[in-house]
Amino acid sequence: MKFSRRQNPGNQWEESLNEELRFHLEKQVTLYLSAGMSPEEARRQALLQFGGVESVKEQCREHRKTFLLETLWADLQYGLRMLRINPGFAAIAVLTLALGIGANTAIFSVLDAAVLKPLPYPQADRLTLIWTEMKSAGQSRAPSSGPDLVDIRHRTKLLQDAGGIWVGSAAVTGTAEPEQIKLGFTTANFLTLLGIPAAKGRLFNARDESENAGPVIIITDGLWRRRFGADENIIGRSMIIDGRALTVVGVMPASFRLIFPEEASVPPDVQAWVPFGYDLSGAPRDLNYLRVVGRLRPGVTLPQAREELHSIAAHLRAEYPVDSKAGIDFEAFSLQQDTARDTQPAILALFVGVGLVLLIACANVANLLLSRSGLRHREITLRAALGASRSRIIRQLLTESILLSLLGGLAGLLLGWWGMKWLLALRPKSMVLLDAVKFNFPVLGYAFAISLLAGIIFGLAPSLEASKANLNETLKAAGRGFFGKQRYRTLLVTSEVALGFLLLVGAGLMARTFARLINVDPGFRSDHVLTFQISPPGSRYPKDQDRVRLIYRLKKNLEALPGVQCVGGVHLLPFDDYANWYSYYWLPGAAPQDQNTLLADHRSITSGFFQTLGIPLIDGQDFDESDIAAHRRVVIVDESLAKQMWPNESAVGKELNVETIQEGDFRRAIAVVVGVVKHTKSLQLTGNGRPQIYEPYAQSTREIMAFAIRTKGDPTSLIGAVRAEVAKLDANLPLSKVRPMDEYVRMARASARFTTLLALALAGLALALASVGIYGVTSYSVAQRKNEIGIRMALGAQARDILKIVLVEGMTAVFAGITIGLLLSLLMTPMLSSLLFEVRSRDALTFVAVALFLSAVGLLACCIPARRAMRVDPMVALRYE
Amino acid sequence: MSPSMEILQGTLDLLILKTLALEPMHGWGVAQRIEQVSREALQVQQGSLYPALYRLERKKWIRAEWGASENNRRAKFYSLTKTGRQQLEKEMADWERLSLAVALILQRA
Repeated sequence: MKFSRRQNPGNQWEESLNEELRFHLEKQVTLYLSAGMSPEEARRQALLQFGGVESVKEQCREHRKTFLLETLWADLQYGLRMLRINPGFAAIAVLTLALGIGANTAIFSVLDAAVLKPLPYPQADRLTLIWTEMKSAGQSRAPSSGPDLVDIRHRTKLLQDAGGIWVGSAAVTGTAEPEQIKLGFTTANFLTLLGIPAAKGRLFNARDESENAGPVIIITDGLWRRRFGADENIIGRSMIIDGRALTVVGVMPASFRLIFPEEASVPPDVQAWVPFGYDLSGAPRDLNYLRVVGRLRPGVTLPQAREELHSIAAHLRAEYPVDSKAGIDFEAFSLQQDTARDTQPAILALFVGVGLVLLIACANVANLLLSRSGLRHREITLRAALGASRSRIIRQLLTESILLSLLGGLAGLLLGWWGMKWLLALRPKSMVLLDAVKFNFPVLGYAFAISLLAGIIFGLAPSLEASKANLNETLKAAGRGFFGKQRYRTLLVTSEVALGFLLLVGAGLMARTFARLINVDPGFRSDHVLTFQISPPGSRYPKDQDRVRLIYRLKKNLEALPGVQCVGGVHLLPFDDYANWYSYYWLPGAAPQDQNTLLADHRSITSGFFQTLGIPLIDGQDFDESDIAAHRRVVIVDESLAKQMWPNESAVGKELNVETIQEGDFRRAIAVVVGVVKHTKSLQLTGNGRPQIYEPYAQSTREIMAFAIRTKGDPTSLIGAVRAEVAKLDANLPLSKVRPMDEYVRMARASARFTTLLALALAGLALALASVGIYGVTSYSVAQRKNEIGIRMALGAQARDILKIVLVEGMTAVFAGITIGLLLSLLMTPMLSSLLFEVRSRDALTFVAVALFLSAVGLLACCIPARRAMRVDPMVALRYE
Repeated sequence: MSPSMEILQGTLDLLILKTLALEPMHGWGVAQRIEQVSREALQVQQGSLYPALYRLERKKWIRAEWGASENNRRAKFYSLTKTGRQQLEKEMADWERLSLAVALILQRA
């Protein structure tokens, strides 16, 4: 055995120690000689009196100043050498740890971006999102009206300022190809509130808002590069938006994005901003469309601001009957937390899950170390005999295990980086915050910290165990070393199985949820449907009738295309990310207090929409062009509204007071119900959503229109022909979001799909690690007991008996693990409830399936070594002894 | 039990400090002095003396210097530092309080 300690740096110190002890012994010998002993006797007595010289030296070394550092270095070198001697062990341990640490690092990078990191705005923690509550209609998290925002701005003392945005769509024309973009209509202070200055030019100021100001626009870096070739002299140039020339006053930095909760309908890919061209306070009080952001004054807390907003709402309710009828209130949330709200539970669950995976990996490596500590027992005993203290030995073994875990961490960083790329490729567009995922210092620091921690977790128990060396026992046993560690190993298997069970149940529940989501009937058929959107600019289509003419002519032309079965238009497709239009409806003649209490989604459609999306007509009929010509106001409602308003009679022929949009203004109108259709899911697949009211596009004309085209063959094959048809009618009219309807449905499932995939990946990893663990323990135990098995067989035991012994022993641990895992899962899975859909968190089927599956895997992992045990040749085994 | 008693570690520290308070001494000298002064009632396990010396040096209570011994051999001499002297006073006071307390109990009980 070589101790690498006695090398250059310590030489002088060692020399000095030797000289000191030599001097002591000589003095003692001289003393004994003078007492009349023979030289040999004197030397013997002196040594006896002194005790073990090497042991004393070792104890002295422990008090050296540089001892810790020096031995650390020595231990590291020694550890590396041990790993080189046993590359198989090193590779397996490092790989196991790399899987655990890598998965943790990848998930942590997501957690860091989506939960921990502040939004990329200065003092983002001061930003709040203000929602309106409409208590009478039971509607929370609604947008605010123009007058609401103006009143909040005037009355607040705790908010520095508040601003609003509404995202619409607009056509960019001019030099390059026409293009449809998302356009943010904002109050002049909105961008200033977020706190990011323009990269070029300026942000809006109050003057831009006045009605006689020249129209201005601020654009993103992307739009600037795409449409202006990154022209340095962009400021002051004009840009044609919806046929109007706007002056570019600012370009935002490339990194700037709007980050809002998904349901706020403020998508991150807004390309440009314009100020509202009218006085917000003049808008109707019950027209809610603004997403309001406020910035807290320094020192003001969110609860204080909330309190103030409640009291402002109370004043508004007292002052305005409309607000009082609707039961208006304001609710403020931290923009950061509200944005993370949707993704946070899934990410936290995954974070816990991946932590469990690391624990399983640690258990596996602890197991490997235990097997090896049996082999190293003699070495350790010898060290102890030479005077190394117990703490010294523990430290050496811990250094080795931390070295191992740091190597694992290094490899884990590689795996984690790869895993993060995989995550980023899979991430649903709706998880806006995940765009910021990257390997930064916190992520690297985290990887380092968990590597260190893992090294201690899996290294501590085996080193404590190994350092308990009982000198005499071990030296006598001559290193055969099977030190009743079996119980400890069984414990490891049990905990691996228990943790694996928990992970598998979590993944199983997510998979069942996803299966449910796949099977959800959205109420329409998305296959073989091509969609696209246009928004005829007001400059060239000033009147409703101009747009109506265009839309209906386009519809007719598209219908005539070969391969097209039918065509329908709707101003907002199901699962699109534009703002949803919902409003109040009531029966004509309803008492004033009942008027602002029921909300329905309003949709402008053309005839053929229901047929194209395969939405069944239950009663009455589709819109008829003759109705429109006769100026008879008509609507089609969904069955949920029909059932609610006219429970036991046909809705057809009844009248409703609905909201319409005419020449750009919202107006109430009384319309006759001509048909009833099945309800469709249009915002999310889970939950039913509000009732739906469909109005003819000709009677409620929005600036944006989406077309759905049912095709005989592959819908994408028609894209060219469709573009040509639009260009024939208006060469300057851009098409946007040209994509099959299937894609919208896929997007609606994307975040559940993402979470499920990750959960399954983690569960797969856990399963692989746990089964390797079970296999490792069982085969080690078989190898250790070869001679016992040999004796049993020599005494007449049958192969079957041996198989039984090994299996019973292995499976006892597995079943114990399953039982504990079951209890743990019963305790923990309710925390997943918010992620589940139509699956109970204690879903019996999932639990039973996981228990059976784990037993089968455990059995398999035990069987392989058990079969090896059966084939033990008693003669060989006994001779081996 | 041998006629001479073994010394507990904490006590050994105190004895070393006290011995070195008289004059700088090498390790063997310290061991001899403790045995002589205690009239051979206390016997220092010579092996355990050196780890104790190194420990005290690490705590900066004593410092070591190489010098010439009585017969001009090179030897390592230990002497008390300022903090060592303070520590000695503190430990002696502690010891006196302890032995007084023990003595009281032994007399009364």
